[in-house]
Amino acid sequence: MLDGKLFFVGLLQALLVMAVAPFFSGFARVLRAKIHSRKGPSIFQDYRDIFKLIKRQRVVPAQSSLIFCLTPYVMMATILLIAMMTPILTLQSPLRMVGDLIAIVYLFALGRFFFAAAGLDSGSGFAGIGASREMTLAALVEPTIILVLFVMGLLAGSTDIGVISQKVATGEISYYSPTVWLAMTAFSIAAFIETGKLPFDLAEAEQEIQEGPLTEYSGGSLALLKWSLSMKQVVVIALFMAIFFPFGNAAVVSGFSILKSTAVFLLKVAIFYVIAALVENSMARLRLFMAHEVTWAAFGFALLSFVFFLVNV
Amino acid sequence: MTVQQLFLLSIFLYVVGALISLGLNRDGKIANYVSGTTAFLAGCTGVASAVPVLIEGKGFILEGMEFIPFGRFTINVDPLSAFMTLVISLLSIATGIYSISYQEEYIGKGTGVMGFLNNIFIASMILVVTIDNAFYFLVFWELMTLVSYFLVCFEQENREAIKAGFVYFVMAHVGTVLIMISFILFYVYTGTFDFAAFRNANLSPVTKNLAFLLAFLGFGVKAGIVPFHFWLPQAHPAAPSNVSALMSGVMIKTAIYGIIRVGVDFLGASAWWWGLTVLAFGAISAVFGVLYAVSENDLKRLLAYSSIENVGIILMGVGAGMMGIATGQVSVGILGILAGLYHLINHAVFKGLLFLGAGSVVYRLHTRNMEEMGGLARYMPWTGLTFFIGALSISALPPLNGFVSKWFTYHTLFAASTKGSALIRMAFPLAAVALALTGALTSLCFVKAYGVTFTGPFRGGNELKIKEVPVTMLIGMGLLAIGCFVLGLGAPIGVGYIANVASALLHVSSPQLSDGLSIFPESSEQAMLSTPLVLVFVVGLAILPLLIIGTGGKRAGRRVDFEPWACGYKYSSRMAWTSTAFAHSLYPLFSPVYLLRTAFTEAGRFTILLFKKAMAYISQIELMWERYIYYPLLHFMVYIGKRAQTFQTGNVRMYCLYIILTLGVLLIATVR
Repeated sequence: MLDGKLFFVGLLQALLVMAVAPFFSGFARVLRAKIHSRKGPSIFQDYRDIFKLIKRQRVVPAQSSLIFCLTPYVMMATILLIAMMTPILTLQSPLRMVGDLIAIVYLFALGRFFFAAAGLDSGSGFAGIGASREMTLAALVEPTIILVLFVMGLLAGSTDIGVISQKVATGEISYYSPTVWLAMTAFSIAAFIETGKLPFDLAEAEQEIQEGPLTEYSGGSLALLKWSLSMKQVVVIALFMAIFFPFGNAAVVSGFSILKSTAVFLLKVAIFYVIAALVENSMARLRLFMAHEVTWAAFGFALLSFVFFLVNV
Repeated sequence: MTVQQLFLLSIFLYVVGALISLGLNRDGKIANYVSGTTAFLAGCTGVASAVPVLIEGKGFILEGMEFIPFGRFTINVDPLSAFMTLVISLLSIATGIYSISYQEEYIGKGTGVMGFLNNIFIASMILVVTIDNAFYFLVFWELMTLVSYFLVCFEQENREAIKAGFVYFVMAHVGTVLIMISFILFYVYTGTFDFAAFRNANLSPVTKNLAFLLAFLGFGVKAGIVPFHFWLPQAHPAAPSNVSALMSGVMIKTAIYGIIRVGVDFLGASAWWWGLTVLAFGAISAVFGVLYAVSENDLKRLLAYSSIENVGIILMGVGAGMMGIATGQVSVGILGILAGLYHLINHAVFKGLLFLGAGSVVYRLHTRNMEEMGGLARYMPWTGLTFFIGALSISALPPLNGFVSKWFTYHTLFAASTKGSALIRMAFPLAAVALALTGALTSLCFVKAYGVTFTGPFRGGNELKIKEVPVTMLIGMGLLAIGCFVLGLGAPIGVGYIANVASALLHVSSPQLSDGLSIFPESSEQAMLSTPLVLVFVVGLAILPLLIIGTGGKRAGRRVDFEPWACGYKYSSRMAWTSTAFAHSLYPLFSPVYLLRTAFTEAGRFTILLFKKAMAYISQIELMWERYIYYPLLHFMVYIGKRAQTFQTGNVRMYCLYIILTLGVLLIATVR
């Protein structure tokens, strides 16, 4: 059942995501500072934040119940599992028997459910707003994601993410078709929203609603959640890369190929972050009630891609 | 004992329990014990009789006496009937045990009668899904409707319940009439009411279409599919919660059973557009059901709307399956029926659980308004925990049961969209989009339902009185919560048996859908899912953050602060996010759906500004369907009635003329 070698690749992926996520969020901060013509923090600032927070006392509101305490662990565990299931370093999913793309979408939903419930659990009004927004955005984005995955799945004949990766990498799913391009556009918008970056920084909006569901978290719990959120960004990007840019991933598992694909992966994520930083810093935050216009556009792209798929262009 | 005897014993126990309970009506407490215990025991025997049938895949037939010439009383428990019996019996076990304490609320208001109705209700449902004769099917169908009608308006002092009961009564009979006509069509062709003959009926294609559509709409009314749904959120919450659990959990499933029985078993799903019709109704029901559920502040109504949504999801599976059967893709057919049936049992379990949880809340708080709740998990930890498990399951989150059936539904839609005409290939992925939207909104809905009710600060009056509900109620909920885990983690085993039911229905051999700990659709190449491994990994990976906190955070420790931070102001429970507010962000996004709910402003804008109370009330009513479909229909019927009154002159001579005219017409008709 479980392939031993692949299982270790999976673990490696999870640890890799865990290790580099604060680096990339620090990277985003540096990029933003540069665009603002500020000096900005060190690129390793997020590591320092996390280590400092872990040493701090955790303060829990008296109104809260079990969910509030469980959420940081559940969040991190689900993100780690998704990191293990996504083909980050190889061309196949290290844990393909655990679940396919649809399972991954719903694992994200599992984390989100706990996150939002914890927001309500804290009893804080800001956290409640954040929770509500988090779930609303999900309702707007998920149809697009599923439609894109269906189109890509139908092209590949399987919803196994590894199979899709392989077929894209080998060119069996050709780039020379509007279907793939449009699906990619739609998915990139959806992924961008899922990372919670600025125009869509609605649920954890720092300046507006005090980071939403994070409001009442402190100490180690806050560290875990912040860490998980930055890991989520990397994982969402990895998922996008696995479906649309699996190039450079190791086809055969060996020490060297894994090293090489690790480097390629980090490079790809860095490029995504640079592009994201440009988008992020050239826009103001959307109002929540405007967000659906963008998600409709994303859904429109997905639908177009589906139409092109149907007429077989 | 043989399965036949067990089955009869189960029915016998329901009936005896009902009668004793009725006899003991004076002594409410004992009546409670009798009806609850017999329902529990009967449920256990029902499970014991159904499980062997499911495992061996071989049914049994019981021939009864011939009371009337045209109706043979035959009980035929084939795998599908056994599966339905299993579902009904499972819920009977849980609600039976639950009702022992729950019905104490009703002591002095006729608990004996309630126990009687409750047991007869369950027995009639089991007979509906096992009877093999159209005449008796309708008899038991009617019995089920009547008994549940009495249960809906059991609280006689509650005017809302009486009204809900009436609406339910009318709608249920509209459905029954359609089913009856469909069965009469079969009768015309076969000359008998036996289902056995219906299976081999040689209907012309047009009649087939007509029979299917009539049956689908007739059963659809009972299932609460969207244009006919509006009785459901009125009737289900009005009943006592253990009955709501049965109505939402299993009664609407008897309608699904009817659709599968007539559409697939009798008519062999012979046209491809039948499946698409079912799929379309399913998708619309799912999306609308959940959109209305989200905006609801009444906990039980929210659950009732969500039942509409889940019926929609079940029908999406069934519809895809029917399309597969019609176009000769047997694997899609099996997968679709499997997805539908799996979601059917899952929904019975988690919706039963959620309704019982809501019942427990109502039992302690005596209100269904979520705005007056909050933080209940601190006072009722076990109720909170079980409700949370139910909420996770219904939101289709892995590794619980709701996800497994939803996953199969997705894969049915996926498999169905790989082949066929352009219409089919277009319709199924769009249905998947509807399913995705439904899924995300369900999550939102149940974060709200759980979050506003069980977490955060308490928003009602005196919170000190609230304590955990009696232990029998907890056992009832606990059993169903365990069921959520068993059906989720046990999927690799359970899938095979449910696939057997589907393949027995299609008379083909069952495909392999599981291997070791994983399940897969069609082939393991396409996709795999392993719920046990998901659980193992999530729990296992949670060790990492635990270690991090363990090493660094231990020394820092943890402090319980009195209240959340409120920007330096004094914190008040009114600062916490409310139920209305939580769903409010959806209103502008789905404004066409909610338009009429919020824009019903005959009172005028200024009045609403002055009377906040009135505005709150207005934002709760949903009038779209009533206003555009049912009221015109109602007015039309009244109009016809008024016209018909002209014949009723009150003049005896005119009446004599009518009689003579009728006689003349009849004479001519026979002589000719």
